[in-house]
Amino acid sequence: QNILTMCFSVGYSTVALNHVIDFKEKKQEISKPVSPSELFPSLPIVQGTSKKIKVLTRLTLIVSDPSHCNLLRSTSANIRLYDIIAVFPKTEKLFHIACTTLDVDLVCINVTEKLPFYFRRPPVNMAIDRGIYFELLYTPAIKDSTMRRYTISNAISLMQICKGKNIVISSAAERPLELRGPYDVANLGLLFGLSEGEAKAAVSTNCRASVLHGETRKSACGVVYTVKKPRKVEEEETVPACKKAKTQA
Amino acid sequence: RSARRYVLCEVVSEDPRCRQCIEDRALGLAVRDAIARVHGDYGLACCSISFTVKYLNAYTGTVLLRCRKDSYRLLCSALPFVRYLESRAQRYPCLLNTLHVGGTIRTCQKFLIQYNRTQLLRLLQNCTNEEERQCIQKSLLSCSLTEEQAQSGDEEEDDGTE
Repeated sequence: QNILTMCFSVGYSTVALNHVIDFKEKKQEISKPVSPSELFPSLPIVQGTSKKIKVLTRLTLIVSDPSHCNLLRSTSANIRLYDIIAVFPKTEKLFHIACTTLDVDLVCINVTEKLPFYFRRPPVNMAIDRGIYFELLYTPAIKDSTMRRYTISNAISLMQICKGKNIVISSAAERPLELRGPYDVANLGLLFGLSEGEAKAAVSTNCRASVLHGETRKSACGVVYTVKKPRKVEEEETVPACKKAKTQA
Repeated sequence: RSARRYVLCEVVSEDPRCRQCIEDRALGLAVRDAIARVHGDYGLACCSISFTVKYLNAYTGTVLLRCRKDSYRLLCSALPFVRYLESRAQRYPCLLNTLHVGGTIRTCQKFLIQYNRTQLLRLLQNCTNEEERQCIQKSLLSCSLTEEQAQSGDEEEDDGTE
């Protein structure tokens, strides 16, 4: 909860709380996500604007076996309650499956150890077409020096394949002091090999796009956001699909 | 004519004692140490050509650093790696939050005034005491460029009210 307070004071407008599921045990029940209203009686307001801060929920699945993916395809009601779903593949086959067929929003890239597999261009390109984003964590880099080396080397090898598109940088902060402000995180993106525009996008627009991607996963096929301006109507589209469901924002 | 960049940061910390012990030497050492850890000897040498801590405000935790234009990227990318401040044999874990990078002190000052204004507004919302409320409103109304130096001293009851 302290972490959230720190987030707000530093200037983030939307925060996603992560819930990690590891599949080492035999059977795992996916529990319901903690509703954000339980944590805060009233959500504080974003600095500079008058909107409230959004707190989303997010699920991360650590998969090391193809049978774990069946959980995603099951119609367990609890999965639907999470706003964003991320998968953390441990082998090359799983990375391929995650990029091509799995119904997720984010693919986490391991930063804490040397990658056991190399990235190949076809699955990465397919993921970019499908609107899946690759996620890098930065908190291990702040804590430890060896992890910093792994983070930077893994990030740079990812950049070489995907040319800096579809990257999201997030923190896995366990303490409020491990968090960094948005401008600082964009500067970290420079270290990872992104250009300046890409780094700023990695913190802002890409994140928003992945949240919208999560919403399209929840609703029928696609979402059209219409924002009414005095004269014009502005449209913002995510995931193109054959049938579009119109939703008023 | 040497071109410089001024980086405006805010020191955020959980420990209230940390704010009192912010001093320019401790902060300079912490930043240099972070640059050395991230960019090595080359980075440290590049950045320390014209590196100083220009302005410090212990009440609000605002810091203004100066460096050369060629090496400000090295400095900015190393700032997230500052984890603690060390002074008088005490370590205080803290965060450095970069607010603004400008070419002159005046632009940073303008930004700081606006930022302080939004911070005061935020504190105003969380105020429960009527006197504090009036005090803050008075400070808000008197924000201006010439009075900035006097302004930064007297506001902000600190994070106790947040």
